[in-house]
Amino acid sequence: MTGTQWVPLALARDIAPGTSAGTMVEDAEIVVWRDTDGRAHAWEDRCPHRGMKLSFGFVRGDHIACLYHGWEFDEGGICRKIPAHPDLEVPGSICAARYGCTETGGMIWAALPLGTDPIEVPALPDAVPVRSITLEAGLITVADMLLNEENAVIEGALATLDCAHGPLAIGVQPIRPGTVALHITTRPGASAETLLAICDWAETLRRAAEKEIAA
Amino acid sequence: MSAPLLHNYDLDEDCYRARLVAACTGVALDLRNVDMFPGAEHRSDAYMRLNPLGTLPILQDETLVLTQPEAILRRLAALDPERRLLPEDEVIAARIDDWLAFWAQHLAVAKAAREIALMATPGDLAALSARTARMLRVMEDHMTHQTIRGLGFFAGPELTLADLALFPAFALSRDHGLDHDAFPALRLWARRVRLTPGFITMPGIPDYH
Ligand code: FES
Repeated sequence: MTGTQWVPLALARDIAPGTSAGTMVEDAEIVVWRDTDGRAHAWEDRCPHRGMKLSFGFVRGDHIACLYHGWEFDEGGICRKIPAHPDLEVPGSICAARYGCTETGGMIWAALPLGTDPIEVPALPDAVPVRSITLEAGLITVADMLLNEENAVIEGALATLDCAHGPLAIGVQPIRPGTVALHITTRPGASAETLLAICDWAETLRRAAEKEIAA
Repeated sequence: MSAPLLHNYDLDEDCYRARLVAACTGVALDLRNVDMFPGAEHRSDAYMRLNPLGTLPILQDETLVLTQPEAILRRLAALDPERRLLPEDEVIAARIDDWLAFWAQHLAVAKAAREIALMATPGDLAALSARTARMLRVMEDHMTHQTIRGLGFFAGPELTLADLALFPAFALSRDHGLDHDAFPALRLWARRVRLTPGFITMPGIPDYH
């Protein structure tokens, strides 16, 4: 990856307020979480204490707590509580590393790589989440398959195309070599039948992509 | 009538399933903790007489001695006068049967993977964990579709025995190195399962509520 890029991490719907999830972009481990006010955050998935995964922890209000020794971090990434030393005024210098994070088009996005100034924040039209799906296939295989669809365009990490069930906007997340996640959205107003048909389209694509790899 | 007796080992996921079903149905359960590891008490003469397979859990209830996890869960759920985990509806009941069979036949790989990882029992961890990932994917696809249909659980709109039978394999998958990244629908489902009145955890399943 060259330069700064916005990469989709999850469908916004799938990260409920007060929850966290681990994910990866090109092997970089990221925790994506939403505070109880509804704001999304993307951080390095590494507790500053002993390096355990923050995504194994839990969200408390606007803090995320590490599962292992309970250190709590505020939304700015600053450690605010060390349970083993309840009387300690925690120095403001213990920090989790944060990615630029935004929410648009029904997805949560992070600016990669870590520590870069986020470029212009993308603004996508409103969309309805369909599903996220993980494919054990390389990025090029998956991109080629998406580009085979009607009116397909890939710009940055966003693919837009028309499948038989309507227009799709798909966030493409390279997890690691040989694994790609697609965050699939469609236009507002789609019925449950349509959403299920799009799921079937996505699962068929996954079968085909993985067969390509096996072949 | 005395409460059924569960011969239990806290770290065993099938024993946890039995405790979980009892807890979520309010069925009273007597526990006898067995020194499975390192004592191998479940292979003692007394236990081999009770269960020649030498496995846990074992449920003793009146004249019954049950050794198969699925039968144990069904028995406990049937003891609940409200039958809240086993609804009458025939279609839902058929779906519960299907998912219980899926658990017993196809998801057993998850338990095997976890035992290799935690207890260093012999076996091909990579292969079993990969197979578990395949099975969790089947579950993920199903719960994705259920959610679109407006159904929050495996067999229908309400929690059933199927959900409690399937839950531990997902919740414990990190014990054998399988993260939850690729399973957003199962994450949200697990969160709903955790909200069940009476829900309990076991070591390896964090209790953060
Ligand atoms: S590793 Fe996170 S609190 Fe210790």
